[in-house]
Order: sequence, then C-alpha cells, then structure tokens
Amino acid sequence: MNSITSQSVPHKAPAKKGNFWLRKGNKIAPYFFISPFFIIFGVFGLFPLLFSLYLSFHYWEPAAGLAAMEWVGLENYIFAFQDDWFQKSIYNTGVIALKSGIPQHALAIPLAFFIHTSFTRWRNTVIGVYFIPYITSTVAISLVFTTLFSRDFGMVNQVLTSLGNFTIADMKVLSWIFPVENIDWTRPEYTKDMISFVVFWRYVGWNTVLYLSALQTIPRDLYEAAIIDGANRYQQFRYVTLPMLKPMAFFAVTLTIIGNLQLFEEPFIITGGTGGIDQAGKTAAMHMYITAFVESDFGTASAISWILFMIIAGLTWLNHKVLGGSNH
Amino acid sequence: MASVQFSNLAKSYGDTPIVKEINLDIDHGEFIVLLGPSGCGKSTTLRMLAGLESISGGDIYIGEELVNDLHPIERNIAMVFQSYALYPHMTVEQNIGFSLENLKVEKAERIKLVTNVAEMLELTPLLDRKPKDLSGGQRQRVAMGRAMVRSPEVFLFDEPLSNLDAKLRGQMRKEIKAMHKKVQTTVIYVTHDQVEAMTLADRIVILNEGKIEQIGTPKQIFDQPKNTFVAKFIGAPAMNIFNLSNPKIQHDFGVSMGEHNPVLLGIRPQYLYLNENEVKGVEKAAFVDVEVISSELLGASRHIKCKYQDQTLVVETASHDATVKGIVRLYFNNTQIHLFDENNNTITH
Ligand SMILES: Nc1ncnc2c1ncn2[C@@H]1O[C@H](COP(=O)(O)OP(=O)(O)OP(=O)(O)O)[C@@H](O)[C@H]1O
Ligand SMILES: [Mg+2]
Repeated sequence: MNSITSQSVPHKAPAKKGNFWLRKGNKIAPYFFISPFFIIFGVFGLFPLLFSLYLSFHYWEPAAGLAAMEWVGLENYIFAFQDDWFQKSIYNTGVIALKSGIPQHALAIPLAFFIHTSFTRWRNTVIGVYFIPYITSTVAISLVFTTLFSRDFGMVNQVLTSLGNFTIADMKVLSWIFPVENIDWTRPEYTKDMISFVVFWRYVGWNTVLYLSALQTIPRDLYEAAIIDGANRYQQFRYVTLPMLKPMAFFAVTLTIIGNLQLFEEPFIITGGTGGIDQAGKTAAMHMYITAFVESDFGTASAISWILFMIIAGLTWLNHKVLGGSNH
Repeated sequence: MASVQFSNLAKSYGDTPIVKEINLDIDHGEFIVLLGPSGCGKSTTLRMLAGLESISGGDIYIGEELVNDLHPIERNIAMVFQSYALYPHMTVEQNIGFSLENLKVEKAERIKLVTNVAEMLELTPLLDRKPKDLSGGQRQRVAMGRAMVRSPEVFLFDEPLSNLDAKLRGQMRKEIKAMHKKVQTTVIYVTHDQVEAMTLADRIVILNEGKIEQIGTPKQIFDQPKNTFVAKFIGAPAMNIFNLSNPKIQHDFGVSMGEHNPVLLGIRPQYLYLNENEVKGVEKAAFVDVEVISSELLGASRHIKCKYQDQTLVVETASHDATVKGIVRLYFNNTQIHLFDENNNTITH
C-alpha cells in the first residue's frame, strides 16, 4: 500500500504536509525535547523562588486566599530585622555554624591526610565508617544523641561523672576538670554546644571524603620532589598538601556555610521543635518555619528566607575572597 | 662531585624481580645515560639511587659513602622529574629556593644562590611567575634550576625532555650539555630516546628487563654492540639481522661457518649502498641483489624496504634515489657486518 502511495508522488521527497516533527528545518522540535527540564525547573524552581520574593513584600494570610495579599513594601524586612527573636536566631545560627563548622574542617583535613597516608587495604572501610553518619536519617541521629545526652541515664553523663568521681586515696583527682554530678544538657548554656556537636559529628565524614578525594589527585611527584628538596612530613603537609587542597577547601567550606546557615532538622528535633529553653537552640531556619507555619505569617517568613539567602551569598563571596582564586 | 657505585643492586616488587644485580661504576663528573625500552627498570634504578624507593638487595655508594639507608636529603642528590613536579602555588623564585629554605640557608645567601642560578638559566625575568604562566621549556629550566641551586653531588634526570616538542628538545639537550660542562657534576640521565643518549652521554648503559646489556661510549655502543638486543635497539632504522641457516646468505656475505659458528648476521641500513663507489675502505665491495618493495622519504634521507631471500631488509640512502624499482644491487663493506652466536652475543673477529 505504502509503495503505491510513494510511487504516485515520485519526486516529492518528504512531503511538506507530511510529518510535522520530521520536517526539515523544523525549529520547534528541539525545544520540545529539552522542555521537560525547563518545565520542571519552572514549576518547582523558578516559580517558588520568584513567588517568595514577591511574597516578601506583602502581608498575606494564606487561609484567606490569593486575593488577600496586601502590598507592604519593605515592612516585612524591617519587622524581621527589629524582631528580637529573629536576631537571636541569627546569633544562634552563627554560633552553631562556627562551633560545628570550624572543628569539622580542622579535623577533616588531618584525618583525610592520615587515612590517605596510613591505610591502603582498609581505606574504603574506614572511609565508609566515617561516612555512615552522613547517610543516616537526621531524626535517628538526633534521637540517639538526645538519649546520650539525657540527664539521668545518658551515657555522656555517666562517662563524665565517673571520671569526675574517679578517686585515688579518697581524693577525686579529676574533679577539677570533669563534673561530679549529672549535667542537665537541656539548659540553655549547653543547647548550642549539643547541637553543634551533633552537626559536627555528622558532617566530619562527609568533609573527610571530600578532602580525601582531593588528596588523591595530588601528584606523587610533588611529594617526591619535596622529599628530595628536604621537606619533612610536616613541611610536605604545609607546603604541598595544604595549598593543593585549597580549591577543595573552598568548595567544602562553601557547602558548610550553606548547610550550616540553613540548619533545621538537628536543632528542631533536639529541642523538640520549640527552640529549647530561652530559644537557645532556635536557628534562623527554624524561626522562619515557625513564622510561616505556626504563626501563618508567610510574608515575613519569605523576607527572612531572602535575608538568609543574602547572608549566605555574602559569606560565600567572602569565602571566595579567602580561599577561592585557584592556582591552576 | 662524587662517584657513584652500584654493586649487585636489585629490586623486586613482591616476587617479581624488576632490577636484577646491577653492577656499575660511575666516575665523578661523568655523564651517564641509562637507556632502555619502556618498563626495563630505568626509573626504578634512578629512584633507588635517589632514595625514593627502597632497595631489595645490593649496595649503593655515593663517593665513599654507603647510602642504602640514608634519607634522600642526606644523599645530596637533586632530581629533575619528567613532569617537572614544580610546586604550582609557588613562584619560580620560591620553587628554586624551597630546598634552601628547608636546609635553613640564611635568607641573604639564599637570595644570592637563587639569583645566580636564575641568571645562568635565563630565568631572571620570570622569577615572580607561577609555573602555570610558563612555557614548557621554561618550566623545564625551572626544574633544572631547582636541582642546581643546591650544588648537589649527583644530578638525576628522569626523562626530563619527553614532554617537549622536538625542536625544544634539541635546544634543551644543548643546554643540559652546556650545564654539565659548566658545573662538572656527575649526571645520571634516564631516557628511552637514543638521540638524547648519543648526544649527551659520556657513557651509555643499555638496560633490558632489569639487566645491563652493555656499557660503553656512544661510539662503542653503536659500532660494537655486544649482542643482538643492543644492535637492534641502537640505530634507526634498526640493524638488518639475518639467519645464517640459508647457504645463499652465507655465500653473499662471505661468511665462513668456521670455528665461531655464527648463527645470525647483521648489517646497518646505513652501510648498504646503491652505488659501488660509495663503499669506502675496501678495494672490492661485496654485494647482494634484492627486490625493492617500498620506499619512504624522510626529508634528507630515504628508507628503502627490500625483499632478500624471504627476509626484509632496509637501506638508508640519500633522498634523491627516488626511482629505484625492481631488482637492485646493494654494495657493502664486508668488515661492517656483525656476527652473532647462538646466544645472540657478538662474535668478535
Ligand atoms: N610499585 C610497583 N609495583 C609493582 N611493579 C612496579 C611498581 N613500580 C614499577 N613497577 C614495574 O617495574 C617495571 C620497571 O618500571 P620503571 O618505571 O623502572 O620502568 P622504566 O624503565 O622507567 O620505563 P619507562 O621508560 O616507561 O619510564 C615496570 O614493569 C613496572 O610495571
Ligand atoms: Mg620511567
């Protein structure tokens, strides 16, 4: 059948009115094929982004429908900045970010160097062990740590007090450094430390893996040249390893900045969603969540999210100034 | 300046022997080239001398001192790597001065030494640059400067020119040679490029599968190869080697199967001529008749591939001999053939 049709129009190669998609010079088909990305990005990426920006300049009670939006200019931003609790949450976020972030990198780099130089056969197993916290559910981790830090039966207190009560000839020799009675870790002065510790513990492995992968790309020649140039192990680390790790450090620190300033799950679960006594463990992201979903003030919550975004952008820029600008 | 001595030096990885019982005496101030095919253990030998690789057997002496267990820095050697291994985050000046810093040389002295070396290698205008902003040849010179600044007893080079293009390689070869003339230090230089070996070496050490095949001056290695491996490895195109079981070949080349009982015969492509009068040193040139298969122009010369008694044979001639076809007669000097016994060793006449 087909052959007859094609014989009847012998000289007309792909008929003009034939298949639209296969027509030569079709300018639309390529866009159709790449459209899934743009549709998904538009719906789930760009639209919420722009909508939250739009929202941050409005007062909006979501239950009252879209028509209830009311333009308020910069008022949400001004309100957020003047809000004591927001200020406090920013302060909390900063403290937790530093207390968990700095030790993360300070430990991950030497740890990666140690694993890189000291393990061959067991390397992957060791890395795996360090990496497990990163892939474990935050809820589980936070619950485990809450138990560990519980006042009366927590393991942390048991270890600390047993050290504090360690006696030699009726003298509590270690009591000047370790506590002798159970510590109430939920007290506000400890909340941030506890959260920082959990965050630190969780992401050390992740950073170690990042640094380890960077270490593996450093050519062996460089170390050998340094050995011949008389550099000892510390000098090799200081003058070869560290500078060569700089690009990865930039990347890893950027991820830490972004992650730590958006810290939500760990403090949320550890403080039972309240922010803890005296709001000591309430992070900016938690504050934003509470503003939006507890107080139903989506305008202010959007403003807070944009303020956070600008802080993150600013810090990343600063980080780029310090660690960016690669050698290669 | 120092002499270097390997005695029964050996290296194995697990059960695999890589370097087997190397014995070698290097005089001080000598330029030694280790030459051999890829994977024969050249780098391994060099790295054992540098102290970057542990040794599995034997001894290494630098000067009078046994250095088997010394740290690289205590051996007072300097090494130039194939990849140059420049520190990418340091300037040229810092790269060159790094070892001095580690050796705790005073700052004023350090600057003086670096300046001198930079002057010598024409690196002065580049001192503030990072390696990424240098050309290949400049990087190469920085790597050399880094080695020279400490005035080491022995210089080690591991294929330092293999990352350069042909023209630059020629130029750097001259510079290395000039540098050696100037500083008169012992140099051990690893390469698999025979031109480099021929032009640079005082003596060449031919390595194969972790063993020394021959040690000698470039001329000795070329003119008096000890065995078929060296004969084939040195010279391009490779020496033509025939099996003497064919009586016609015995007759053509005038080989008497006398006392030495030669098994193989070799003649270099350069010593076969199309015209009888090109043959020097004999009254009457010998000849063979061969059939031309193909010919290949290489600029100044031409390689002609021929069929001879079911074997192929290559002749190197001047490039204008383009018209040779069919059956041709090749002339040669009978004293320029090499004979090998059943163990592939050269029979000396
Ligand atoms: N760490 C190692 N473990 C096992 N075998 C090795 C190791 N290092 C090198 N070898 C082997 O030792 C042999 C010699 O290596 P070497 O690097 O000395 O060769 P080379 O002569 O320098 O070759 P090239 O000209 O390619 O640089 C090679 O066959 C290589 O596979
Ligand atoms: Mg090598």
